Amino acid sequence: MGMLLVAPAVLLLMTLTLYPVLYGAWISVFNKHSFFAEQTFVGLGNYAYVLTDAQFWNSVRLGSIYALSSIILQIALGVTAALVVNEAFPGRNLVRSILIFPYVVPTVLAVILWKWLLNSQFGLVNYLLEDAGLISQPISWMGKDWIMTSLILVSVWQFFPFVMLAVLARLQSIPHELHEAAAIDGANALQRFVHVTLPQLKSVLFVVILLRSIWMFTKFDTPWLMILGGGAETYIRTLPVYTYQRTFAYYEAGIGSAMAVLMFLMLVVITAIYFRLFKREEGL
Amino acid sequence: MTVARTFRGSMPLVLLTAAVLVIFCGFPFAWMISTTFKQSHEIFATPPTLIPRTWTLGNLQRLFAETRALTYLRNSTVVSLSTVAMTIAVATPAAYSLTRFRYSGREQIAAAVLFTYMFAPIMIIIPFYVMMRFLGLTNTHFGLVLAYTAFCLPFSLWMLRSFFQSIPLDIEQAAMIDGANRLQTVLYVVLPLAVPGVAATSIFTFILTWNDYIFARILISADELKTLPVGIADLYNASVVDWGMIMASGLLILTPVMGVFFIIQKYMVAGLGAGALKG
Repeated sequence: MGMLLVAPAVLLLMTLTLYPVLYGAWISVFNKHSFFAEQTFVGLGNYAYVLTDAQFWNSVRLGSIYALSSIILQIALGVTAALVVNEAFPGRNLVRSILIFPYVVPTVLAVILWKWLLNSQFGLVNYLLEDAGLISQPISWMGKDWIMTSLILVSVWQFFPFVMLAVLARLQSIPHELHEAAAIDGANALQRFVHVTLPQLKSVLFVVILLRSIWMFTKFDTPWLMILGGGAETYIRTLPVYTYQRTFAYYEAGIGSAMAVLMFLMLVVITAIYFRLFKREEGL
Repeated sequence: MTVARTFRGSMPLVLLTAAVLVIFCGFPFAWMISTTFKQSHEIFATPPTLIPRTWTLGNLQRLFAETRALTYLRNSTVVSLSTVAMTIAVATPAAYSLTRFRYSGREQIAAAVLFTYMFAPIMIIIPFYVMMRFLGLTNTHFGLVLAYTAFCLPFSLWMLRSFFQSIPLDIEQAAMIDGANRLQTVLYVVLPLAVPGVAATSIFTFILTWNDYIFARILISADELKTLPVGIADLYNASVVDWGMIMASGLLILTPVMGVFFIIQKYMVAGLGAGALKG
């Protein structure tokens, strides 16, 4: 009876998640066109090709720059926002809602909103910057010098609420007495934050940084959509974007799959190192 | 209402930071709405205006008249609601089973669900595409619904499981002692109690499906089958960008999300913990 009820779910997960994962690893050792059925066995040929492809390494580099900078900023902004919303002030619940909101909107919306604000000719951001006398000529936000910055800005806007929510949930469970005691002992706000609040946040930040790293490193839609409609493509061609292009623009499913497998292996290695470095120290 | 904790005494700083964050998060939406209802010459006017001097529905009208926005909207609605129905139909009995029956492998199933955290869409989309093509399910809404169901099942299972765990077994036992059989107990006792959980899970599933770009991009190529995110992306990618119309399409895709957002706010933390809306 119990097994019968769980069977459809298990079946679906096996055929639609587990099987594709294994099948992807299988495809990666074939020379395979994305559309047609023919395939020829090439062993580790695809991996050899990918690992010697300068474009691949460049995409790893760009992907790492993107992931690292946006994670750091998300954490900084997310923790700040959580601390603010954790205080008591009128309209706090509304503020909280507005700050969460970017996280639930479609990526395509996030991207077009910012592409409009950052439009080089008619965008509000350039207008305000010029009006304030900060720049003398419009910044080309989707051009080669700025597109990575723009991409990071959009991603931070979109994803910092995740950090805020997780941290806020933890903050609300910190016993009030701890701050009281610190205040009585003469600690100021900053000291209370550093010595009382921050240590309590270690465990939640451990998990949040891990999840955000996995998700930012494999993020496809935000960078891809930033490229659409004239973005300086090669300057934000991260690993997921390059994997997509190899598969669906060059139709090389074998090479694309090898890249996806490598992406997964990198995640596993990074996760393992991360646990090594921090888990014991945190005493989790 | 909790009281000020860390920064008591620094209230002006707290309020100032809150104001800056609210503008950062909320202003892009305000600007979208403003642009949507402006006439085209005002959209490009210097200095720009936040409140349109003359309000117009012209951008929305053009969106519906000159593009297939209504078709995309219908497709998105059909696909999202079908995914919700299918996910809930599969996940609810499974989650119930995971909390109420004992059998070997039960814990492994629960653990395997967490493992799916590691798989981003980009990592399974290639074999998934090849598989769907082999089955003849590319360019069908059914194929898309299958993809979304697979993607939403893990977190739905996880979320529903914790909701079922919070329903005390005693209530069920009491019903059974009163002569109700298992089915009656589930229908009349457990499910009514699980309604908030099922509703919250449905809404997360809806948002995830409604927002998705990558599966729809790859599995659907026929214009008349596209969902809103892909439709809007293509609209934007067209040669001349009509910003009034693009912002109108933004308003269109945003409205349902905004509607359900206020319902699930208090489940946000539970949902994120279960891996809903990962991204």
